[in-house]
Amino acid sequence: MSASKVTRQDALLYGGAAVGGLVVGGAAVVGIAAAVENRKGAETAEGEPIVARYHDGELPAEDPGSGTWSKATRVRVPIAAQRIVQPYLEREGVTELGVRALASATEVALLLDWEDDAIDDLDGIRRYHDAVAVQLPTRAGAPPPPLTMGAPGNPVHILQWRATWQRDIDSGGKTGVDQIYPEVVHDVMPDDVLPPEAAQLYWVGREAGNPLSKIDRSTPVEEVAAEGFGTVTHLPNQLARGRGVHEDGRWKVVIALPSARAGVGEALAPGTSWPIAFAVWLGSDENRGGRKHISTWQTLALEERPA
Amino acid sequence: MARVRNWQLGRDMEYPYEAERPKRQFTMIMDTNKCIACQSCTIACKSTWTWGKGQEFMLWNNIETKPFGFYPTGWDVNILAKLGEQSWDGDTYTGQTIFEAAPEGERVLGWTAAEEDWSHPNIGEDEPTGNAIETTYVPDRPHSLMWMYYLQRICNHCTYPACVAACPREAIYKRPEDGIVLVDQTRCRGYQECLTACPYKKTMFNLETRVSEKCIGCYPKIEQGLQTQCTTACIGRLRLTNFLSPPEEADPRKPADFLVHIRKIALPLYPQLGLEPNVYYIPPTHVPTDFLTQMFGPGVEEAVKMYENAKDDPELLGLLMLFGATERIFETWDVSGGVARAYDEQGEEIVAVPLREPTFVRPFEFATEVAGEPVTGYRHNT
Repeated sequence: MSASKVTRQDALLYGGAAVGGLVVGGAAVVGIAAAVENRKGAETAEGEPIVARYHDGELPAEDPGSGTWSKATRVRVPIAAQRIVQPYLEREGVTELGVRALASATEVALLLDWEDDAIDDLDGIRRYHDAVAVQLPTRAGAPPPPLTMGAPGNPVHILQWRATWQRDIDSGGKTGVDQIYPEVVHDVMPDDVLPPEAAQLYWVGREAGNPLSKIDRSTPVEEVAAEGFGTVTHLPNQLARGRGVHEDGRWKVVIALPSARAGVGEALAPGTSWPIAFAVWLGSDENRGGRKHISTWQTLALEERPA
Repeated sequence: MARVRNWQLGRDMEYPYEAERPKRQFTMIMDTNKCIACQSCTIACKSTWTWGKGQEFMLWNNIETKPFGFYPTGWDVNILAKLGEQSWDGDTYTGQTIFEAAPEGERVLGWTAAEEDWSHPNIGEDEPTGNAIETTYVPDRPHSLMWMYYLQRICNHCTYPACVAACPREAIYKRPEDGIVLVDQTRCRGYQECLTACPYKKTMFNLETRVSEKCIGCYPKIEQGLQTQCTTACIGRLRLTNFLSPPEEADPRKPADFLVHIRKIALPLYPQLGLEPNVYYIPPTHVPTDFLTQMFGPGVEEAVKMYENAKDDPELLGLLMLFGATERIFETWDVSGGVARAYDEQGEEIVAVPLREPTFVRPFEFATEVAGEPVTGYRHNT
């Protein structure tokens, strides 16, 4: 596709041109059933609803390579540099995100893939990570919250996967100084000479309970709520699962969440459809925070449970 | 953008937030003329706050040689080059600040130091510059035409911090009680926007906790009425931790107000950037005025002249002598009978120092007897 710019106007209008103006929310939506039917068997599509095929059983929530994903149609979602809210992303590094979706009785899973030659999975000085995020309204019904991560009183539910967190899990927390600088030689460090509870005080972010400072994590996906840029709030219950792998110059990342969304928002019930938006960060292009690629609102249509 | 008053620029300026001044403002005064770059301050800070894993490269306090020393490399010349040539009209800055010069899509004109820029804190150390050809010795000064000097650097705890302006999450804040600027360790998400925005490059990224950290102004000490670690560890006694009032509330009895507002001997670091930094420098006396004006703004010549005259200025000399004489933050001082005294809030004396230490002169030659025999010799230091 040609590089598209997401403008302030796009952000305020539900569904940019790419979505085809399909306005949905809640179950009583004309056309979804038809859309679901039409997409069956297609290999790839752009500007069509992302249909979450119903899968009876466990979803491949931690397996981007699972054959089960072939049940779902891959929808090409255009993404562009975020230039609505400061700081802007100056230069686009990727223009398209592939999205597949599956749903079970209890869970919704998305397989996201995008082109990225470099793996950026360590956080350092001017060293940023690759990441992808999914944004959903907490409540059904049009219009959706502003694309810019909601607004006061109009929250969004965001699930972000970071390459660094994936490496935290895959390596058992070996993602610090010793990995950033493999030749590093340390003098005496607090944990060499102090009891653990005292040494811990020198990792202030961790000691203060910042979830971003944790390295012993059980999931590479963080669930947050937001009411506008800069308001991301870590949710008390972290129930999302996922896994990302880098293959053939692409990231393939699964983000899965319980469809009940207890304590977060309305359930992602079979037969309903939802606005959904995406963001992608390329670490080696110095993407971080608001310096990211974003899509406009798309449509996630959850297939009815077969009778 | 809000309009705020920046007294260092002699004018109002644009800033992303309405910024209310704190109840009182943490400040530090540095006498550059006394520094020997022993780095006692650096080590005091490092061993107190940043010896954790992930903080290896961090020096919240550092001493660098000017003009060729930097930590991180090129911190000041890079932002000066980006901002371009600017000008003053007397005491009024007619150029652009880094907020006013911010490009589209940015809140602050900034640049990001690379990781290797943080790896050479001693770069340029003791390297002089100047006229090496014409002469190496100038009779009327103890210096040659070559020059260099040491710059003492901590976070400036700015009135209008660029780190605060740039943080998309408002994770950095300025304490209303003392104006100390802190990174909320629970709120930061490690975007490093503050590293790009701060022109003094005094926010740093912790490699283990993945959030930004910075000089905390030793606030646990400040809360107890004590001066910072870098101040009390300074063997040159060139630092003063104190509180500064805005110019319209300046009180000549208060040490920082006296030095900054009344005598104007202590000047801000790169005031033209627009942050109203709250660390003030008594400029070196042997450095070309143009260079000092670029670094400390207008008023450099008067400050140098006043410093050179300090020996005949008991009020000023007394205050300078009280630098490093006590760990406690003092509120007022006076000089009488050749003694400078510092006082606390209740007017109780904290410390007294003589303006001039007594001097004893021994004869150069001596004559004595050893075992009944006369012996003559020369005095030497032992």
